[in-house]
Amino acid sequence: MSAGTVPEVSTWGAFVATLRRDLLVAFKRRNDLLNPIMFFLIVVTLFPLGVSPDPLELAGISAGVVWVSALLASMLSLDNLYRADYEDGSLEQLLLSPQPLFFLVLAKNIAHWLISGLPVVVLSPLLAYMLYLPEGAYWTLVLTLLIGTPVLSLFGSIGVALTVGLGSRGLILAVIVLPLTMPVLIIGAKAVTDVMFGLPVGSHFALLGAMLAVALSIAPLASAAALRISVN
Amino acid sequence: MWLWFSKLGSPRWFYELSGRWLPWLYGAMALLLLVGLTWALLFVPEDYQQGHTIRIMYIHVPVASISLACFPLMAIAGAITLVWKMKLADMVAKCVAPIGLWFTGLALATGAIWGEPIWGTWWAWDARLTSMLIQFFLFVGVIALRSAIESPDAAARACAVLAIVGAINVPIIKYSVEWWNTLHQPASRISMDAMSPNPPEIWVPLLIMISAVYLLFVISLLLRTRNEILVRERRSQWVTDLIARSQS
Amino acid sequence: MMPDTDPLLPDTPPAAHAEPLLKVQSLFCERDERVLFSDLSFSVGSGQLMQVLGSNGSGKTTLLRIICGLNDSYEGTILWRGMPVTDQRETFLASLLYIGHRVGVNRILTPRENLRWSASLHTPVDDLRIADALARVGLKAFEDVPCRNLSAGQNQRVSLARLLISPATLWILDEPFTTLDVYGVRELERLLAEHIDNGGSALVTTHHRLNVPCAVERLNLDGVEQPL
Repeated sequence: MSAGTVPEVSTWGAFVATLRRDLLVAFKRRNDLLNPIMFFLIVVTLFPLGVSPDPLELAGISAGVVWVSALLASMLSLDNLYRADYEDGSLEQLLLSPQPLFFLVLAKNIAHWLISGLPVVVLSPLLAYMLYLPEGAYWTLVLTLLIGTPVLSLFGSIGVALTVGLGSRGLILAVIVLPLTMPVLIIGAKAVTDVMFGLPVGSHFALLGAMLAVALSIAPLASAAALRISVN
Repeated sequence: MWLWFSKLGSPRWFYELSGRWLPWLYGAMALLLLVGLTWALLFVPEDYQQGHTIRIMYIHVPVASISLACFPLMAIAGAITLVWKMKLADMVAKCVAPIGLWFTGLALATGAIWGEPIWGTWWAWDARLTSMLIQFFLFVGVIALRSAIESPDAAARACAVLAIVGAINVPIIKYSVEWWNTLHQPASRISMDAMSPNPPEIWVPLLIMISAVYLLFVISLLLRTRNEILVRERRSQWVTDLIARSQS
Repeated sequence: MMPDTDPLLPDTPPAAHAEPLLKVQSLFCERDERVLFSDLSFSVGSGQLMQVLGSNGSGKTTLLRIICGLNDSYEGTILWRGMPVTDQRETFLASLLYIGHRVGVNRILTPRENLRWSASLHTPVDDLRIADALARVGLKAFEDVPCRNLSAGQNQRVSLARLLISPATLWILDEPFTTLDVYGVRELERLLAEHIDNGGSALVTTHHRLNVPCAVERLNLDGVEQPL
């Protein structure tokens, strides 16, 4: 017993510890780490097979294909976000922390992005090459994904938080989350396409940045509220 | 003000009040619908470009404008549910979702019917149609979530959160779709924006139709909500009395 | 924490019963159109151990979750040190330790890693204290084994080690004895006794007859006294 010690309130400490814990869990389960990336690769591969191997046709759709695949890969990996914590009771411990839930949820979302979003960003130039994306558009693709994929994690988190208590989730998560992510897809993919046509894309990045800012400030709040409801 | 607010929260009070309103609403809607439809279908002059097809507008525009109002309404009702735990607000939020879905679907269908003669295709990735389609998905999501959660209380609050997040997203979706689309489809823009300099014989019947369809919306919302009230309050004394009276 | 009411200070007289730590006033809760409890009032003072009894489905778990703030579909007031918990959530949570049915132990992480995270959510402690706590609950040599390789009882012990590293005044334990063996039960009873001795308070649901040196108050949710 540490009788008499005043509890040291450290939001930052709890934030870092939660981030580190989620990363640790992911690294101990290599499959969870690899599956979203493999899924991303496989989905991208489906398009040349299903559409056409013709370089010109592929180049035209390459930006959209990479973006849609990134969106689906992010969706696929979302289920891990709160599921295990809900089942083993860690989620209750999280909710009963005196630290603001906003930052704890944010830490979990950042961990999710580092696990599922960042690898996709890193891999995207390789896939862009395979899909004959013009060289000039590589950086735009990487940058839009870098700004856009965190938004996917943040919005996805709301959907998972709302459905984590459901016995049979099925596809409901996708039905809830995908419509919310459509603006990001629109702007991200269009930025890359516009660069291919030599158009300026400054406004695209401004819009993506604004979306990230909105998502960062609103989504953890909504996720926190949703988690409280789901645990209730 | 507060008294009024808490009174409004009482389902019984709402049930009785809406019961008194309904006949008037029915009457007003029938009148407006009759005048509006006759005027729009028989007496409005043909459009010099679109001919008789312009008459679809008198259904499409009212339906679309209401479908746009449904999501904000659901979000406001959701916010009231979350903050004040008012049961009536959740009943309204629950009832407005399927109506919103229907109106969005109707707006899409009438848009397609209008699009066929004008653009030569049933479907175009036009900005308005596309954002309508996404809004349709958002409604589907809210309804799916509602039906997936067993506990009514948890469902109410979960849907409230989703409705609020969705409502924040609706304008973002609208603007991003419009911006994405500017290069592709100026067609619908012309037909819509050409409205303003039009003579009164075109916009007055449109106004009447909008009012009529708004009344239709209000009536369906009231009817649905009244049903929901009866279902949720089925154990309370006044509902039992009501049923006993209707059976005798 | 106000020093004059801090029950952990050794010079606090045990008569702190006068100002109860936790006070529940006319609590009403209904679930699935069934009233679980209505007009339920009780208080827990410092140095007081309260055992919550009741048949299955009588709302024991719900009551504990309501007090913690995990469940908010209730009517009534819950006071902590004389103030509604809803007005001072952070202060209340800082003095609360809850172990539920689901013990909150991640199966992929090791006991040490689990405790490190649990502690950081409240009050971070150094690894030495964590190792001590694990040794005390009989998990020496299991510190670095993934929890999925441990038995249910051992996982429960990991969660009980949290009691040792937490400075919380109020313990809320939901069926903490279920998976424990005889030694585990004895150890937990010792922990409870120590905590009460130090002026802490605890709210425990269990059908097990508590073998502790201190007085045990009983709260029966069935309304009728049942033989233990």
